[in-house]
Amino acid sequence: MLMWKLAFRNIFRQRRRSVLTALSMSGGYILCVLSFSMTEGSYNNVIKIFTEDHTGHIQIHSEDYLTRPKIHKNISIDSDVENVIRNSKFVRNYTKRIFSPALAYSGQKNTQVRVVGIEPELERNTSRLADKVKEGVYFNNQQNSDGYYSAMIGVRAAKSLDLSIGDELILISQGADGSIANDIFLVGAIVGSKSSWDSSIVYLPLVAASEFLTLYGKAHQYSIMLHNIRDVIDATESLKKALPQHSINPWMEVEETFYKTMQSDKEGNRFSMFIIVFIVFIGVLNTVLMSVLERTHEFGVLKAIGSRPQTITFMILLETSLLAILSILVGIIAAIPLILWFANVGLSFPEPVDVGGIAFQHMTGEFSLRVFLLPMLFILSFAIVVAIFPGIRAARVLPTVAMRGN
Amino acid sequence: MLIYKLAIRNLFRNTRRTILTVMLIGFSLAALILTNAITGGMIKVMVESVTHTISGEAQIHRLGFRDNLDIDLYLEDSSDIENRLAQDNRVKSYSPRVIAGGMISSSYNVTGGAVYGVDAAKEASVSKLKLAVVQGNYLSEHSTENATEILIGKPMAELLEIGLGDRIVITLAEANTGELTQALFRVSGIFFFGTREIDENMVFINIEKAREVINIYDASHEIALLFHESDITATTTQALLREFNHGETEALDWQDLFPEISSVLVISDFSSFIVGFILFLLASLGVINSMFMSIYERIYEFGVAKAIGTKPIQLLQLVLFEGFLIALMSCAFGIAIGGGIGFYYETRGIPMGEFEFAGIAMNNKIPTVLTLEQFTQFPVYVILLTLVATLYPARFAANIVPSQALQKSL
Repeated sequence: MLMWKLAFRNIFRQRRRSVLTALSMSGGYILCVLSFSMTEGSYNNVIKIFTEDHTGHIQIHSEDYLTRPKIHKNISIDSDVENVIRNSKFVRNYTKRIFSPALAYSGQKNTQVRVVGIEPELERNTSRLADKVKEGVYFNNQQNSDGYYSAMIGVRAAKSLDLSIGDELILISQGADGSIANDIFLVGAIVGSKSSWDSSIVYLPLVAASEFLTLYGKAHQYSIMLHNIRDVIDATESLKKALPQHSINPWMEVEETFYKTMQSDKEGNRFSMFIIVFIVFIGVLNTVLMSVLERTHEFGVLKAIGSRPQTITFMILLETSLLAILSILVGIIAAIPLILWFANVGLSFPEPVDVGGIAFQHMTGEFSLRVFLLPMLFILSFAIVVAIFPGIRAARVLPTVAMRGN
Repeated sequence: MLIYKLAIRNLFRNTRRTILTVMLIGFSLAALILTNAITGGMIKVMVESVTHTISGEAQIHRLGFRDNLDIDLYLEDSSDIENRLAQDNRVKSYSPRVIAGGMISSSYNVTGGAVYGVDAAKEASVSKLKLAVVQGNYLSEHSTENATEILIGKPMAELLEIGLGDRIVITLAEANTGELTQALFRVSGIFFFGTREIDENMVFINIEKAREVINIYDASHEIALLFHESDITATTTQALLREFNHGETEALDWQDLFPEISSVLVISDFSSFIVGFILFLLASLGVINSMFMSIYERIYEFGVAKAIGTKPIQLLQLVLFEGFLIALMSCAFGIAIGGGIGFYYETRGIPMGEFEFAGIAMNNKIPTVLTLEQFTQFPVYVILLTLVATLYPARFAANIVPSQALQKSL
């Protein structure tokens, strides 16, 4: 108890100095919290957007379809893949898709598009596609009375082809059997915006796409949404065990370039935080050393009356940690409104910036316990490390020398 | 004179404190210099990979072409424009291109991509295409007899499971009519830029062949330019762009073509300003603290000095001068550290891990870019800030009341 009392008293003996030191530590803490919150928040936000928009949390492919797509690398719909997915406790929803590049025509205009065949109802529950319908209606698996299927088309493709709802769209591609695939579809809906992922995509109902590409009863990709994105590694492992012959890729592998960029960026941020806190603590070291030097006489007395060296080192450590904790408390109080603002409002870039293939426009903060906790541990450990040297110095004081000096 | 002598003596009375303070400010300056040098390096890599990889520093298009790469929106007077560019002494090089989206198929697989028809010699003077060829040969300059030459990216070659000499069929639609047309090529070279968008999506063929396939003669979709003047905002360059910017033709520099790059530049400028500002705020706290400590230790001396008739303004000057000396030493320290590290990495580059911003892969090391202002402006800021921080303790010293100060230490 005496230790604590002494430590507190020492902190308040030189109030101005303590306040200035505490302010610099608070500043360092706030900076760490802010930087941590912004990187976590912005990245988590963008991850949420693209996984919910189209990639899903986990994708299942045949062989290396993910990196080298080929029409023959497909999964049979009637295999046990769907059963395994449906029975997994992690899975919330799933959908299946087939893909193919194609040339799209409308009268005189043409453009190169990507055809995506989807199961309308499964897709509606898994991705945001249904919410992105700008004009027209979300399609179903039915042909109209003339035997045409409906297609949904991205904004950029629609503009290139000068198409509107109800117009005819001709697609040409290569079928699975090597034949030239061509067919006529009716534009049922226009989806997304000019900058969205699917601006040059033509969505077809799975039955229509299978017919078009002569790829019956197959899927190139199963896209899975989990109940909780945090389970993605566990879920991947359990699916891998259940489906050893398929490729199971969590979103980190699906958007590998983005993931690597994110990791490098986070690492860079941690490094610069480290440098800033290091600089802050040169100042703190200065203060602690000063306060130790000032009290050389006292430490001499303490030792003369029988205090052990460890006790004195401990006292210095305690003083510094207490000051650090006080600074962090002040820092937390100041950071809460700041982080709340960044979490709710945030910053926007003038133009979306492509980060590893993912469009990035908003920077938002994350407001969570760990955002405040991790920088706290960081600052505290720095404070303790910095106090060790002056602490040992104080403990080594020789009573005779120290008391003679004054 | 006495003040200066005193100030110097005071600094070295407690050398460790002075050293720590100098380190505090010096490291802040070094951090500032290095942040700026690294940001400068990243910007340079980004801008160069935009302007010197494929796009050029400026491009001329038919109005509206950029929106959808509509094959019908070609520059009909391409050869006129090219002649004017060839005679213009501001233009270093230019390259006309025919661009068409199409399906690219081998006997094993099929993918979509952009087919670029380019003039072998002119393209080599604008873009890095020739240097990026990692296997086989670049397009030959007299194209008529070798009209089946095609360069494709490494990832696309892997996707299509083909190598040098293999056949590729490209399916395109002709301009104006939209008639479907196919052409056969043989892979003559494989390129690798390290930029996904180019490596995975683009193929290059001879411009005459491309014109023939899509049926536009003497026309092109894009003319990419490089200038002698490296600053794109220079008035001569902008004047040239304005000359071509009329009617149905648009001529834009890379800042307009890639607004996201400019946006990245604005963000990185802003964030380094914020970091610098906070860094120096924190360092100033340290300076104030350290000056106060040194004043407290000497409070008796200050009392005596005042008692024998020293004016407050002289004490203010004394403390400020001490602060100035500390700032000078810090600058020397900071410049040595920041300059040393910066210089070391100027040629070697700092490994930054794998990055891809704005479609530009930066997997290589980022060289630091050292500029004069990092070593002139920044230290001046540091000295000014240190002086401002010292004002507070200096005023305190000037206002010491002799009776109290002398009493305290008795």
